[in-house]
Amino acid sequence: MSMYFKLAWRNLFRNKRRTLIAGIAIGVGLASLIMTNALTLGMKDNMIATATSSFLGEGQIHRQKYRETGDVDLTINDLDTVTARLTDDPRIKRYTLRVWSYGMIASPVNVSGISVVGIDPATERYLSQVDDAITDGEYFSGDNRRDIVIGSKLAEIMEVKIGDRVVLTTAQAHSGDLAQEMFRISGIYHFNVEEMDRGMAFVRLGVAQEILGLEGQVHEIVLKFTQSDIGMDEKHPFWSEYSEDGNEAVAWTVLLPQIKVAFEMSDLSTLIVGIILFAVVSLGIINTLFMSLYERMFEFGVLRAVGTRPGGMAVLILYEAGALAIISIIIGGIIGFVGTYILSQVGIDYTGIEFVGVTFRKLLYPVLTPSQFIVFPFWVFLFTVVVGLYPAWYAARMTPADAMRKSM
Amino acid sequence: MAGNEQHDVIVARDVRKTYAENGVPVEAVRGVSFTITSGEFSALVGPSGSGKTTLLNIISGLDSLTSGEVLLDGRELSAMSGRELSDYRRDSVGFIFQAYNLIPVLTVEENVEYVMLLQGVAKDERRERVHTILTELGLEGFAHRLPPKLSGGQQQRVAVARAIVSEPALILADEPTANLDSKTGAELLDMMRELNQRRGMTFLFSTHDTMIMERARRLITLKDGMIDSDTGES
Repeated sequence: MSMYFKLAWRNLFRNKRRTLIAGIAIGVGLASLIMTNALTLGMKDNMIATATSSFLGEGQIHRQKYRETGDVDLTINDLDTVTARLTDDPRIKRYTLRVWSYGMIASPVNVSGISVVGIDPATERYLSQVDDAITDGEYFSGDNRRDIVIGSKLAEIMEVKIGDRVVLTTAQAHSGDLAQEMFRISGIYHFNVEEMDRGMAFVRLGVAQEILGLEGQVHEIVLKFTQSDIGMDEKHPFWSEYSEDGNEAVAWTVLLPQIKVAFEMSDLSTLIVGIILFAVVSLGIINTLFMSLYERMFEFGVLRAVGTRPGGMAVLILYEAGALAIISIIIGGIIGFVGTYILSQVGIDYTGIEFVGVTFRKLLYPVLTPSQFIVFPFWVFLFTVVVGLYPAWYAARMTPADAMRKSM
Repeated sequence: MAGNEQHDVIVARDVRKTYAENGVPVEAVRGVSFTITSGEFSALVGPSGSGKTTLLNIISGLDSLTSGEVLLDGRELSAMSGRELSDYRRDSVGFIFQAYNLIPVLTVEENVEYVMLLQGVAKDERRERVHTILTELGLEGFAHRLPPKLSGGQQQRVAVARAIVSEPALILADEPTANLDSKTGAELLDMMRELNQRRGMTFLFSTHDTMIMERARRLITLKDGMIDSDTGES
């Protein structure tokens, strides 16, 4: 066996240029797989981070039916008990409370329909990036109850700037009576998400509860876990534990199902890219092995003549395929690592681009993982050897006389 | 190892081989019968196209026969499977080719020990036998060289070493001197003759080289695929 491997390894280097070209071709295929996977992982991380840390959180608790109806009357049942449990729950890193309502904002020059969100600025900053997205003014810096933070697009439509007054009109819970309150623009944010920049305004939680007549009540508890895996696992016991007393707790993947579908599509894309790459690469492998085989036909005849069994010939070709795979894996691993590492350092600028409802807000950094250098090379090796079965079978069934027809 | 008692190594009876060349049947060997006894130093001779190489291929199991019978050490050749034929060639036949046909990526030592590797000979014994045979053939300083770094004569001596190292009963040599100058060719033939006499190895050449014809003890002359004359062993 070691002689066959020695033969195979040395045979590969008889035509260094051809082996190098074949190795690069297969290696580039492997590198492409590594980079595609790293990019996909980076995109997932980026999308999850964007989706969960921008505003959504890793999970939310609402009153049942609230998500479907948006009914302002449907506040969380037994809020004090729920928050007390969350405070003591070691799985919870942070949580914040929100009140939501639809309303109308009016400036001296324009009127616009928006979502009004009452937030607790102190805890909200750990769950969302509203504070980070402030481009003008401040994020609820003092204790002025009339502070309102609006999106850049809304400010443009309303033609307002920091310090300008706006009037917010909304319908109160339960009674449905209209309530109005005057606010002063204290901050303008830019999320680069049309829906948020144009259609949302943030006020203090207490003020929102007061306007809506929802003293001590909220519509939404936003969660951040100590282990972010919980947010990815819709079947985690956490969700059922908090889905009681008429409330429901759901993971962010439930709130943004399209992102999960996008991930599945992304995995499928990687698989398809992989299959196409492997198909192309397989032709290269077969071509290389057959060229090498035809070039040494007489030599194979000699090997058969001196007593090498047909199976031995097949083993020799398979070893050559394996040796080619090893060379390709080294080349592909280096190209894949260097290329991905550079990209993971400089990042890829997709900021501002929206994909399945999530707008990339940060540079996309491909993620290198050890498995990319174990799993993909393993498949390349296996695939190369499997593809090598055809030329191996061909070599095994050659009769010595056919192979040596030039002489003897 | 060839024994001292004489026995029939090759028995060919009415061997025929027909090729299809461009769809036209060509009779390369037409009813050839002969027997090679152990210890012979014989040659199949004849002009190109006379069928000597085809006959050598059939005898060695490298090619199939169309009809007739070939017995190798009493075993019917056509009854052997591909694997049995491989094992037969590995254990009982040594080949010497016109163009040396050493494996260029293996060193002299590795080329010579290849057959023993296939036979499963232990490493120490392999090395010992390789060393002995290379010394015997004047190749002791070339063990770690690759064949392309050797002269034609040296390569053919390595080919001889490869053929005889496992001490097969039969050595088949196809035009072994064709690519050598006359002096080197003569030296090589003398060496093979000595091996034949000293070790009792059976040699069967395919040739039209007069040097071989002069040294062979028996000449089987082929013409148009048939035996034209057979001198018998002298």
